[in-house]
Amino acid sequence: MSVEKPSVSQELWTDFFAGSRLACARLISVVENSPQAIPEVLDRIIPRQKGGIRVGVTGPPGVGKSTVTAALARRAVQAGRKVGVLAVDPTSPFSGGAFLGDRVRMQRLSDDHQVFIRSMASREGHGGLSPATPYAADVLDAFGLDRIFIETVGVGQSELDVMSSADLVVLVLQPGTGDVIQALKAGIIEAADLFLVNKSDLQGTETLLDSLRFLMEIGGGPRRKSLPPVIQASALQDRGLDEAFAEIERLVSGLVASGLFLEKRRARLESEVRAAIGRELWDKYAALTNAGEVIPAVVGRLLERRRSPYPYIREAVSRVRILIDEERGPREEPQ
Amino acid sequence: MTDRRIKVIIAKPGLDGHDRGAKVVARALVEAGMEVVYLGLQQSPESIVRAAVDEDADVIGLSILSGAHMTNFRRVKELMEASGLGDRLLTGGGIIPTRDQEKLRELGIDKVFGPGDDLQGIVDYIRERAGRPSKG
Repeated sequence: MSVEKPSVSQELWTDFFAGSRLACARLISVVENSPQAIPEVLDRIIPRQKGGIRVGVTGPPGVGKSTVTAALARRAVQAGRKVGVLAVDPTSPFSGGAFLGDRVRMQRLSDDHQVFIRSMASREGHGGLSPATPYAADVLDAFGLDRIFIETVGVGQSELDVMSSADLVVLVLQPGTGDVIQALKAGIIEAADLFLVNKSDLQGTETLLDSLRFLMEIGGGPRRKSLPPVIQASALQDRGLDEAFAEIERLVSGLVASGLFLEKRRARLESEVRAAIGRELWDKYAALTNAGEVIPAVVGRLLERRRSPYPYIREAVSRVRILIDEERGPREEPQ
Repeated sequence: MTDRRIKVIIAKPGLDGHDRGAKVVARALVEAGMEVVYLGLQQSPESIVRAAVDEDADVIGLSILSGAHMTNFRRVKELMEASGLGDRLLTGGGIIPTRDQEKLRELGIDKVFGPGDDLQGIVDYIRERAGRPSKG
């Protein structure tokens, strides 16, 4: 069966580059299900990317992320953009399954605007996204989409994967959930490029806005040049979303003009390079040393004798070069 | 190494508003380790199949209690074939008379479920017919 093969068939590539929606969907399945195929996929798609902008939408559970995402995506279509949505919902740590319900709030977007919408289970991701989400965004970018909305799992205070995967981040909040103390906790607030106070038809909106204003007054810390704008909205009443979309487009222009967009891409590529080298070296090491069996045995002894693992680690690492040299040796000689 | 989990679309076509059954089944499939995209109420065959394309779903499950099962299953099946999803599993459940189940089989919908069927049977059927291990 084609999904079991590590590589992507030529037929799938042809269909993908011809604009087949199903081929695009299948390619996302490849990066989701077969991590070992990711290098091959990136090799082919990165040269085709046109720099589609990735807009992250994050916030606590139940604040209206899906509804807001759909409303923003709809406006992006109306503004002539080609739009995709990646909507992440949590994987159950018990069963490995996932109930993906974001599409329930995106019905009109799918029906009226033909937007490509993909639900993703978070799987091993613990930062609000699935490990494959950034690659799925790469696929959509190469497919020719120029606004890619990435909706995270409902997050708490520090699930920040979206910050490195998106070009800008909209933090959706709602009144009646905590006070300035919550907001002062490091993390998610600092990741935001735009605060969107949804459900502002509800009581408590002024309190939340006061808290945010207070945060603005005491400053965003030394890392931040300008404080993020705050927009009041109500997705239910369809209020404030034109403003939010206009603000996003303004921020996007700013990102591009200031070079920050490229800076983000640079940082993302750098972490990809680092992580991939780490994985490759680990795989090589594990294969050469039979680490899958050796490490548990060593750990067993360490536990028994109450020893620090570091003498073993130093010894193991020092052996890597020798092993790689040995492995390389016979290969260079013709058999 | 692949980590293919069975992806199932659960949808209610048409206008009947009884979605408890769909939710119970969806929940059981999640507990069996599947990824369930829940579309909810009032779906058109077109919207269901469009979602299945974007999601690259292995299975479409329709919940129909309105009596409009023949029309809906037929239309969804046609659209699946037209969209390149002819090889994916179409099944469902609801109040579907035995004589209609026969007609559905002729359309290529081998099995539908109804009141009294146990959840494990649905899970097993999908696992077997989706043809892929649910966890890598």
